[in-house]
Amino acid sequence: MASKTRIPFQMNSLFRRFVILAGVLLAVGGSVPEVRAADLVKVGLLEEPKTLNEWLASDAWSKKVLGLIYYPLYIREPDTLTLVPWLAESDPVYDEATLTYTIRLREAMWSDGTPFTAEDVAFTADVIREFKDSSRLAKFEFIKEVEVVDPRTVRFHLSEPMAVFRERTLTTPIVQKKQWLPVVEAARKAENPLASLRNHTVKDPVGTGPFVLQEWKQGAYLFLKRNERFFGKGLNLAGRTLGPNIDGIIFKVFGTSDAAVMALKKGDIDMFWWQIQAGYIQELENHPDIKLYTNERSALYYMGFNVRKPPFDNVALRRAVAYMIDRNFIMLRVLQGYGTMMTSIVPPGNVFWHCPDAPEYAARVLLRDERTRKAYEILTEAGFSWDTPPVNAKGEVVQGKGIRLPDGRPMEAFTILTPPADYDPARAMAGIMIQEWLRTAGLPASAKPTAFGSLIDQVKGRHEFDMFVLGYGSLSLDPDYLRNFFHSENNKPRGWNMSGYSNPEFDRLADESARTMDPEARRKCIFEMQRIIMEDAPYIPLYNPHLVEAVRTDGFEGWVPMLEGIGNTWSFCTLKAK
Amino acid sequence: MELKRFIFRRIIQVVVIFFIILTALFLLFRLAPGDPVDRMVDPTMTPEDAERLVAVLGLDQPLWTQYTVYVKNFFRGEFGSSFHYGQPVEKILWARLPNTILLFTTSILLSALVGIALGKVAAWRKGSKVDTWLTIGSLVTHTVFLPWLALLLIWIFSYRLGWFPITGIISEEVWLDPDAGFMRKALDVGYHMVLPLTTLFLIHVGASLLVMRSSMLDTLKEDYILTARAKGLTDKEVRNRHAARNAALPVVTGVGLSLAFSINGGALTETVFTWPGIGRELVFAVSHSDYPLAQAAFLLIAIVVLISNVVVDVLYAYLDPRIRY
Repeated sequence: MASKTRIPFQMNSLFRRFVILAGVLLAVGGSVPEVRAADLVKVGLLEEPKTLNEWLASDAWSKKVLGLIYYPLYIREPDTLTLVPWLAESDPVYDEATLTYTIRLREAMWSDGTPFTAEDVAFTADVIREFKDSSRLAKFEFIKEVEVVDPRTVRFHLSEPMAVFRERTLTTPIVQKKQWLPVVEAARKAENPLASLRNHTVKDPVGTGPFVLQEWKQGAYLFLKRNERFFGKGLNLAGRTLGPNIDGIIFKVFGTSDAAVMALKKGDIDMFWWQIQAGYIQELENHPDIKLYTNERSALYYMGFNVRKPPFDNVALRRAVAYMIDRNFIMLRVLQGYGTMMTSIVPPGNVFWHCPDAPEYAARVLLRDERTRKAYEILTEAGFSWDTPPVNAKGEVVQGKGIRLPDGRPMEAFTILTPPADYDPARAMAGIMIQEWLRTAGLPASAKPTAFGSLIDQVKGRHEFDMFVLGYGSLSLDPDYLRNFFHSENNKPRGWNMSGYSNPEFDRLADESARTMDPEARRKCIFEMQRIIMEDAPYIPLYNPHLVEAVRTDGFEGWVPMLEGIGNTWSFCTLKAK
Repeated sequence: MELKRFIFRRIIQVVVIFFIILTALFLLFRLAPGDPVDRMVDPTMTPEDAERLVAVLGLDQPLWTQYTVYVKNFFRGEFGSSFHYGQPVEKILWARLPNTILLFTTSILLSALVGIALGKVAAWRKGSKVDTWLTIGSLVTHTVFLPWLALLLIWIFSYRLGWFPITGIISEEVWLDPDAGFMRKALDVGYHMVLPLTTLFLIHVGASLLVMRSSMLDTLKEDYILTARAKGLTDKEVRNRHAARNAALPVVTGVGLSLAFSINGGALTETVFTWPGIGRELVFAVSHSDYPLAQAAFLLIAIVVLISNVVVDVLYAYLDPRIRY
């Protein structure tokens, strides 16, 4: 009996079953009611926070969440970035004679109801020094003792004046002694005390912030609810009245930016706490319910030389290279216009410390020919020559070939190491562009995208490289990193002086700046340091991308723009439902 | 007897291969340039601080010492703590394993069943329009770029039509609601599973279909099919009970092996759909040099693949009486 029907029965029934199943799921799923409490802000993250242990957290996501729970004595206010008292009640009182800082604390409570006292401050500092916590030790090493004068007064005894005390030590979050003391005591007995401290599972972080952890469903969402015991409720600080006015924050994880942006457009989240890449900006701008915020970043993306290795020890060569790099072009083509020109190592957004008059190497000049001429002038004066000079006898700019060092030998081909395109397309592209520009002046450059681990190993570990392109997405607002990058004592394997720069005058200024406690005096030092570095050009700053973030406007209002974005304490404390 | 000896031999092989993999994994991670501390880009972290962190992570010991500790811990059932989570890696992987198994096992079984059914039809009606479309369709869906297909489905069905959630495994509205019962939560997961399941199904059904079709075409040429027909059996009986049953064997082996590989979670699918499974963890662990987590995840995959290979071999021998070892 041959089957008469065209469609086989099996397929038909299987298909029907599938359709029915799908229908059931749709019916049930589609009927999920709006259970969400009135004022919960939904924030999208690109990766899941890894841990709630303040000592272990090294990834950006954990820090974002913990940054709303654990707080320091002083935080930065959004408009001028100056430090304002947060858990402290007033500015620190400095006694030069005894090298002490006395700080009066606010009346505040931990989220479990116990009072926040000087004991907690001393405890935090002691743990950092005792366990030698790698990411915080540099900020506490020079503190001899943290004295508990009374429950609301703490005194820091410094062993030597260190400028970073105000900017970095006082901005380190404080943990609760009550919650951490048992962990610390157990860690002391362990074979690897710091590992034991870091690997302790924190389920219920007790903090002083405006939010507390309500629930963390790993892999799905993290729910922070309003801390009813938050000391700042109703407090007037930096011209703002703090809340928080929202009931809580729900963090949702999205594996890709595409998904997060779609969720934002659909209304599943109110804010995506990560940069919006240039490709999405247009469609988001046109969306009626979405607003884009553009903020400066405290970032530095730069090209570095191996100053230890000839001919890169020749400052004329470095300056000529600086002229050849068309930073405008990088800004327009690589960053699609979303960036700030970098004319110094310190980002311009860091208004107090950025030196505005350091040598710029025609950063803002657009004409390629002018740059080539300038570079040609510098190199010729320094004794370089070419088989075919980039500026010919008639004064026209041509393709240069075969540059020769002052001693007559042809320059050896060299490489510019960059991260690979999948790690950071901007840096990889910048490398290729620089290669091309240098080649037009006859320099035998080759950009070489290299796996990040390998790149760091060559540049930072073994110092085996010619030039490189690297960057810091989020530099501290305190400019002490200038010392880390360029002081000769940091020129060692794994040291941050990767270029091998060594200048006794700079060293002297850097050491002086580290000990100058008065901000105005220190600023003069820092400015001079920047001028020296830009003169000698061991690093050439390339670009500083803008941070573009997107929020929905139909749910909440009150986002506070600030350096490094709108995801900050001020936003979450003043946000309210529309 | 023969079978028992065969199984025994295979198990010895598996153990040896497993140890080779254990060692290779260890070496691959340690010998690659750079270490987890290098990634922590903080200018104020001095080289001494970095070295101290390296010691905390146990990476300062000589390679041989690290290896012996590693192997000893393996036998003790300890796989170390993740550098980033700070938790024992078993805990992290066990939490993620069910999610991966749920999604991938379902998709593979579904695509196998449908693939067999449709492949059977395509072979039976070789040369017809149904066959042509099924074959072309399989080739297209099998070779399409998975993230693109995934995003396309999300865009159409979640974003534009709003039928399904954009990503994730659960909706926080449901799970934060204190009154939500088990049924509602289970259906919530199912609701989230539809799109990833559909994506994986489309990608994999093609393979099963084409293998089944090809195998079926070979089977249909066999003499016993002719005999069956000559005996007067109906088309349906010949097709299903005589041809398809034998033709399905290669697909069964294929499915067995796919199930094994499904455990690697399909990092792409899990990333695009934010499905909290092993694949995503693995990608994160490798890119952040989280050695303990990455090693444990790879070892898990290795064990499952090795064991399923043995199981599939045995199953095949059981299913096909012609095969003798």
